[in-house]
Amino acid sequence: MWAFPAVLTLHTAGMAVLVGASWVLDLRLLGLNRHVPLSSFRWVFPAVAIGLIVNLSTGIVLFMKNATTWGTSIPFLVKMTLVIASVAMLVPLRSLVLGGEAREVPDSARGLAIASILAWAGAVTVGRLLAYV
Amino acid sequence: MNVAHLHLLLNHVPTVGSVVALGLLLLALVRRDEGLKHAGLEVLFAIAVLTLPVYVSGVAAYRELREQPGMSELAVLLHQDAALAGFALTELAGFVAWVGLWQTRRRGRAAPGIVPVVVVLLTVSVAVMARAATLGGEIRHPEIRAAASSAAVAPDPDQFVVTAISTVAVYSTWLWPAAEAVHFLGLALVFGVLLAVNLRILGVAKQVAFADVHRLLPWGMLGFGANLITGMFFFIGQPGQYVGSSPFYLKIAFLMIAGGNFLYLTVLKRPWAADRPEPGLADKAMAVVSIVAWLGVLYGGRMLPFLGQAF
Repeated sequence: MWAFPAVLTLHTAGMAVLVGASWVLDLRLLGLNRHVPLSSFRWVFPAVAIGLIVNLSTGIVLFMKNATTWGTSIPFLVKMTLVIASVAMLVPLRSLVLGGEAREVPDSARGLAIASILAWAGAVTVGRLLAYV
Repeated sequence: MNVAHLHLLLNHVPTVGSVVALGLLLLALVRRDEGLKHAGLEVLFAIAVLTLPVYVSGVAAYRELREQPGMSELAVLLHQDAALAGFALTELAGFVAWVGLWQTRRRGRAAPGIVPVVVVLLTVSVAVMARAATLGGEIRHPEIRAAASSAAVAPDPDQFVVTAISTVAVYSTWLWPAAEAVHFLGLALVFGVLLAVNLRILGVAKQVAFADVHRLLPWGMLGFGANLITGMFFFIGQPGQYVGSSPFYLKIAFLMIAGGNFLYLTVLKRPWAADRPEPGLADKAMAVVSIVAWLGVLYGGRMLPFLGQAF
């Protein structure tokens, strides 16, 4: 009876690190502290990786508890789509951050930052609502 | 000692404390003393943090007392509505005070409007708190009730703000889940900002000036504000889920530590010096305390449905 709450707590903490760190980078890409070089945001990616590993493993456990209902439920599939989209957006952002001392943010990255903020917000919202469907 | 006792002890913080903070700020305005202004804003921020346990312990006290003979339900509701108004005003004043502290650290002084706005909010708050305190006293002290006590008018219980919020929380199908979603978004924002600030203190991304991570703090405050509002909605909506619950008190206790740490991060002086010294060992210990406190808040909150009975 301790396992489920512990897994859920880890899933929430992992979410906070994963989404929170992504948002901090997105805010920089949108112009907050624009004088700070993008290379100062290298720490975001190990943090995101840790959050992702924790949430993939705890997420699988949580899914197994509800596999029969969630496997075919639209909200769950929407959440998975949003998570995959959010993570996919981190890939080009990572090469931008690791790619040198750039301070200028290309317009495409600004659009990506907005999409990243919204996709993570959608994933968190739908994830939380899964408890009520 | 129980939570009812705790309420009787802590309730002096917002009532007496607000008068002290108001006095400090008025003196600072008269003397044009920046140091005194800073101290007044810091004291007010601390009062705003401590007013949270005053409010929640009051609801717990009521739950323990209501079985006893001679308890007037209406006297409690009158007190609770006044207390909620006082709580909201104190939090608002605390928030404006925090903005002033944040600006002072960045530019040497707060924007000119900050202290007058805080003084006005605090004055109204002191008046509301005085009423809340009087109504609270009347619950167990019939001897201080005026002949034409407001409780004797017997107003309709449905007209109280706390009961209205509770009704909406129970009967709306979407408001509770929507507030939960906002609560989790706010949590992620708070964590992201504090992760960046605390990692910087611990030595990650040393080329970034502390001033630049300090620039993130209002975003953390935004997330916290969203969570304070949604959290109070849950608490007022279904107090029974929280007041008898040990993880809830754990969460409030960790929030007090996190609140003190947030003030420390806002006013921290050392890394702002001209030669930009690295944070010291004590600062690094504080960064660890901050991370642990926020994880504690998250753990307590997440455990509410399991160790307690919230959903």
